[in-house]
Amino acid sequence: MGTGAACVHFEEILNAELLFLTGTNSTDAHPIVAQKISRALDRGCKLIVADPRRIAFADRANVYLPLRPGSNVPLLNGIAHVIVREGLYNKEFVENYVDNFEAYQHYILSEWDLGRVSRYTGIKPYLIEQAAIMYATSKRALILWGLGLSEHRSGSYGAMAAANLATLCGFWGKPGCGAMPLRGQNNVQGACDMGGLPYVLPGYQSYKDDGVRMRFKEVWKEDLPVVDGKTLPTMLRDALAGKFKALYAMGYDVAMSHGNLGEVWRALSNLEFLVVQDIFMPLSGKYAHVVLPSACVYEKSGTYTNGERRVQFFEKAVNPPGDAKPDWLIITELARKLGFSWNYTSSSEVALEIGKVWQGWGGINHSRLKERGIQWPCLDEDHPGTSILFTTGFPKGKVHLALAKHVPPLEEPNEAFTFTLVTVRNLEHYNIGSMTRRSSSLLNLYPEPLVDINPDDAERLGILEGAKVRVWNNRGEVFYRARLDKRVPKGLVFTDFHFVDALTNLLVSPGLDELMETPEYKVSVVNIEPV
Amino acid sequence: MIRVRINDRELNANPGDLLLEIARREGIYIPSLCYLKNGSVPEKPCGLCVVKVAGEGIVRSCSYKVEREIEVSTEDPEVNAIRKKILEGLVSNHYGDCKAPCHTPCPGGLNIQGYIGFIAKGDFKASLALIKERLPLPASVGRVCPRFCEPVCRRALVDEAVAINNLKRFVADYCMENGELPLEVPPLNGKKVAIVGGGPAGLSAAYFLRLEGFEVTIFDREKEAGGLLRYGIPAFKLPKDVVKKEVEGILNLGVEFQGGKIWGRDFSLKDLKEAGYGAVLLAIGARKEKLYGFEGEGLAESALKFLLDFGRGEVDNKAYTKKRIGILGCSYTAIELARVLRRLDCEVEVIYPRSRTEVSVPLREIGYAEREGVKFTYVTAPLKLIKGGGFHLTLAKTTLSEKRELKILPETAFEREYDLVFRAWGELPSDEFKAFGDIEAKLELNPDGTIKINSQTMQTSEPWIFAAGDFVHGAKTVIQAVASGRRAANMIASYLESKPFERAAVTVKFDFSRGKRAEEFDSNFLDLFVPSERMHLKEREPVERVRDFEEVLIGFTEEEAFKEANRCLKCGCLGIHKCDFREILIKEDVGVAKSRKKMKYAIQKDHPLIEVDSNKCVACSKCVRSCPYSAIFFSVVNKGTPQEVITFRFTEACVNCGACVDVCPTGALTKKELLIPYSRNQSKPVKSVCTFCGVGCNLTVWVKNGTILEVTGRDLPPNRGYTCVKGRFGWEFYKSKDRLTQPLLRKSINDDFRAVSWEEALDYVAENLLKIRDKYGPEALGFLCSARTSNEENFLMQKLARTIFKTNNVDCPARV
Ligand SMILES: Cc1cc2nc3c(=O)[nH]c(=O)nc-3n(C[C@H](O)[C@H](O)[C@H](O)COP(=O)(O)OP(=O)(O)OC[C@H]3O[C@@H](n4cnc5c(N)ncnc54)[C@H](O)[C@@H]3O)c2cc1C
Ligand code: SF4
Ligand code: SF4
Ligand code: SF4
Ligand code: FES
Repeated sequence: MGTGAACVHFEEILNAELLFLTGTNSTDAHPIVAQKISRALDRGCKLIVADPRRIAFADRANVYLPLRPGSNVPLLNGIAHVIVREGLYNKEFVENYVDNFEAYQHYILSEWDLGRVSRYTGIKPYLIEQAAIMYATSKRALILWGLGLSEHRSGSYGAMAAANLATLCGFWGKPGCGAMPLRGQNNVQGACDMGGLPYVLPGYQSYKDDGVRMRFKEVWKEDLPVVDGKTLPTMLRDALAGKFKALYAMGYDVAMSHGNLGEVWRALSNLEFLVVQDIFMPLSGKYAHVVLPSACVYEKSGTYTNGERRVQFFEKAVNPPGDAKPDWLIITELARKLGFSWNYTSSSEVALEIGKVWQGWGGINHSRLKERGIQWPCLDEDHPGTSILFTTGFPKGKVHLALAKHVPPLEEPNEAFTFTLVTVRNLEHYNIGSMTRRSSSLLNLYPEPLVDINPDDAERLGILEGAKVRVWNNRGEVFYRARLDKRVPKGLVFTDFHFVDALTNLLVSPGLDELMETPEYKVSVVNIEPV
Repeated sequence: MIRVRINDRELNANPGDLLLEIARREGIYIPSLCYLKNGSVPEKPCGLCVVKVAGEGIVRSCSYKVEREIEVSTEDPEVNAIRKKILEGLVSNHYGDCKAPCHTPCPGGLNIQGYIGFIAKGDFKASLALIKERLPLPASVGRVCPRFCEPVCRRALVDEAVAINNLKRFVADYCMENGELPLEVPPLNGKKVAIVGGGPAGLSAAYFLRLEGFEVTIFDREKEAGGLLRYGIPAFKLPKDVVKKEVEGILNLGVEFQGGKIWGRDFSLKDLKEAGYGAVLLAIGARKEKLYGFEGEGLAESALKFLLDFGRGEVDNKAYTKKRIGILGCSYTAIELARVLRRLDCEVEVIYPRSRTEVSVPLREIGYAEREGVKFTYVTAPLKLIKGGGFHLTLAKTTLSEKRELKILPETAFEREYDLVFRAWGELPSDEFKAFGDIEAKLELNPDGTIKINSQTMQTSEPWIFAAGDFVHGAKTVIQAVASGRRAANMIASYLESKPFERAAVTVKFDFSRGKRAEEFDSNFLDLFVPSERMHLKEREPVERVRDFEEVLIGFTEEEAFKEANRCLKCGCLGIHKCDFREILIKEDVGVAKSRKKMKYAIQKDHPLIEVDSNKCVACSKCVRSCPYSAIFFSVVNKGTPQEVITFRFTEACVNCGACVDVCPTGALTKKELLIPYSRNQSKPVKSVCTFCGVGCNLTVWVKNGTILEVTGRDLPPNRGYTCVKGRFGWEFYKSKDRLTQPLLRKSINDDFRAVSWEEALDYVAENLLKIRDKYGPEALGFLCSARTSNEENFLMQKLARTIFKTNNVDCPARV
């Protein structure tokens, strides 16, 4: 908790007696997780699904909660309301392991009565009651959430509200229990673990802590900065304001993947110096001064960490094309150009250094990973890794019940823009699609951008299956083919951002998560019309 | 723990363990086609896993749980008989080609279907690498090969054979222009090999020996390497620069070439031994002229000598210009000579005692010569040659006796006048080497005077001396010399490393075939293919080409090659690498002669990624039981009988994950994207992790010659062998032409990018980042990590930001 990492492993899905899916269509976005969910359901596991779209798993749910986009916090707090009101929470656990219960109880009971919840979410109170009772009375319940929960202005609060449910019921540190974020991309977990964040050092250690800085200094022989780092959205804002001048982006096509692209582009073109390092020319290349060619996964060795903290080794299979080099080598050579005597000759040497600055990786090295992965924390060479967190207690002594606040989406459908656009992923492609579009088998399966719309809406607007449509708002316009899908509720449209000729992110709202600054990819107002 | 005795081994097992699992764990062979670890049971088990348990009799080991101490026999006669019967039933229902028809006759054993498959995928470099696994002279062979393969190409039954050799030439030429995939050249292992003769045989041996780490020196009488490629075959057929580049490619791997060194004059085998060569390969070709045996034959000039001199540039062209020429014989030497002389404006007649259909060179070659104006006179033999001012040749017609022996008809004798007459009956290896030294004298000969070798090991009567190429088998072809050289290299390597000589396992008995002869072939199968015209090489106009020595045939364009490659019917099974069925047949020694010769099920191609050929289905139902989405409709009636009927269909539920293909133990289910027949033990399984979603599926990437062939799921958590469609089918991007391959730089975003060296690019990056830091402070800089790069790389990126630039402005795509 607090690390954005899953407390359990995917296999625990099979041990749960109840699964609660919210904001995750794993059928498309995490297919192997979906397989495990299916298997659990086949064995009789109960299911609650909260999702605006009637996703495939909704058909198998005991309770399906079709909430309005952006109303996750009200829904989860509503469920908590029932649990607290009915006294269904785990009193023993709360007494021993939880702090802030009094304040939380007051907040939930006074602010989140079901009437209010129902107004926000559009869901009948009895359904919320059913869900709450089913959840709280099960023996082992696991909440899985995805970007559908996080990509909102209240994304972080949503995660807190979900975790609070598990805390209330004492669903921590036991098989088949917990609250698990499904990390989107293959090594987003690793990028965060490695300190690829402005607030923390590798292993989520704080650079504000003198002891921590000392420990790093012993290994790195350098003093560390203590000034707060900037998130990417802040960097971009500062670039627009002329205060931020140079960006070095490795394997991250900001100009395609970020929300509200128009503003991103303006920010990038305002930089004095932009370096991009990638396997394909990214859209950001348009604003770059230097483009560095890097090796892809098959052309180098290293580790990735999946969404269950499993550090996995991948081995070099083939040579990189032309002069392309592995990213670690490029950075190492750059450091040397900058006058620092970095002398890594392989990624496995880097792995050993990670273990020196972060105890969670203390026992992780490439030779141990040749056969199978290890889940951090793995304290030393003999430690088997940790599949379930918190079996013996919590890092800070007690679990804190945070007061999850509701921040409504920045945009609401109005007279001018009557539809809400939600971005999602499809099975056949991944994110900006730079790799999947260039794999012929996948491209053949899904060759062009589609937007999903409710058939009634489509009929009203004269949109036929497969017709070209224009989706637009104040920020831009994008063209797709329409796919009529009765799983999509009226008033919503769903699409992806896999294609260069359909830059969905142009349309995405400028809203940012209040705490984490994640763009509000899930709620943007648009109009749609046939062309 | 329970003690279990299998055959003669005592093993420990836990109560409840499956007998089959225990045996597998211990590496004890029990065949099985239908067992799956996931506990599912087929409706109709394959029954192959039977074993005998003492006191209980025959049991199926895949469902037998060990509960007490038992004694098991896996190789009992009764057990074997049961397996055999089941296998025979499966064989009689199987219709397919394990290997493509074109593969068998190729002396080089090239993976033809595979290299054509790579061309069809547009991956020309990988195609060449596959060829070069067995043939290091593809551009030469691609021009001169008589094409053993094309006459048996299955496509000929539909319309016309695939232009196999022209495709080989195409990829070889393409890579000469555009570069090849790099080879891994190992460091020298300290063992030295001498090769006498740098023709195709010697060069090929050198290539393969060097790639095994041996230090190789080639000694050759000529100044340059290449043998007859360089000095015998004329440039209009095989341009000298093509040979030169190809030879250089081999020598540049670190093979020493000593030209102008004649065995028998400059050195003997003893000298080589003393110089520390642990093994010698003799590959000096066939240089002794065959004679026909008629009066005055000695007066004729030697065609071979002329060609060799011509190749060396030692012929005075004027002496041969505008002459009337008679050439005796219709060997390669005869035809090449004829065509050379046409280019010197001679009038050329080739005289051959037999008929046109009996010539030993491909008719195609005769066609080129005819179009250039060479006259051919068949069924005519020389009787007598007299030299006066010119040459006076007496000839007579021939016929065949009842025993098909050649008979001259003296009554038909007639006379001809020529300015010059050449003998060109072909070449034989010479035995003059016997006189070159003591060791040479000991080398044994065959009755016909050729050197005696052990055909398995390629050793002469002296175990450290090997022989290959035309020197051994007489004048044949380049590809045969290459194959012989490659074989010799393998043998020499085993010899020097004191390893047993490997014997190629003969598996023809187990090769299913849809039919060999056209008459027996099921036309229903051929009807599955649409006719499409064969691409032909452009041939320069004869009147124009006889004026120079430039190449006559013009290679395919990319587009033509691509079209031609797509004509290939992909005959050979594209599931052979995963075929357990074949393995079991080989192990149980069940031949496949009685296989079905009629197609029963049309090949289903409607699934976007998977091809279904139920003619190869063994009805194990593993696909059905592995599919996590219950997306296969499958039924089988009368299983194992001639009346068997299989129904297979993908349902709407299929999400294209490919689990079913990987688990299918035959070629019934294959991946459409995999066009290369390969064997798993000749490719490298590389552990990998999927680069897409956060599940992080474990994958095995199958690599051969530096190219990925396919990706399969790996049986580890979290995915346990399963993947989604991206994991198995989303890997081709790495080959995309869009890959960035060079650092690019520009001063302003309004300029165009310029490709620069890493040196320049990194200097520029360093300089600008420092400049901006110094001017605006560290807070003006930012560094982004990636969700695609490794932990190690992300770690270094943030370390760079924090320790060098002293900023915490680090972020990653955690918000995307
Ligand atoms: C004119 C002609 C045209 C042909 N056309 C074709 C064709 O179109 N297609 C085809 O497939 N095949 C063709 N062939 C046959 C083909 O060239 C040979 O089968 C092939 O070259 C044999 O290779 P090799 O390495 O065994 O011998 P060679 O190519 O003969 O090489 C032998 C090498 O040994 C060297 N050598 C010989 N004696 C000594 C010595 N005492 N000391 C040191 N070095 C020595 C020679 O200089 C030569 O470099 C043709 C042959 C001829 C003569
Ligand atoms: S069609 Fe293709 S695979 Fe079949 S014999 Fe011809 S070249 Fe070989
Ligand atoms: S591809 Fe996957 S989903 Fe489709 S039938 Fe095969 S195993 Fe099932
Ligand atoms: S194979 Fe599919 S499910 Fe597995 S990691 Fe890749 S994208 Fe995710
Ligand atoms: S019946 Fe045992 S493996 Fe098929």
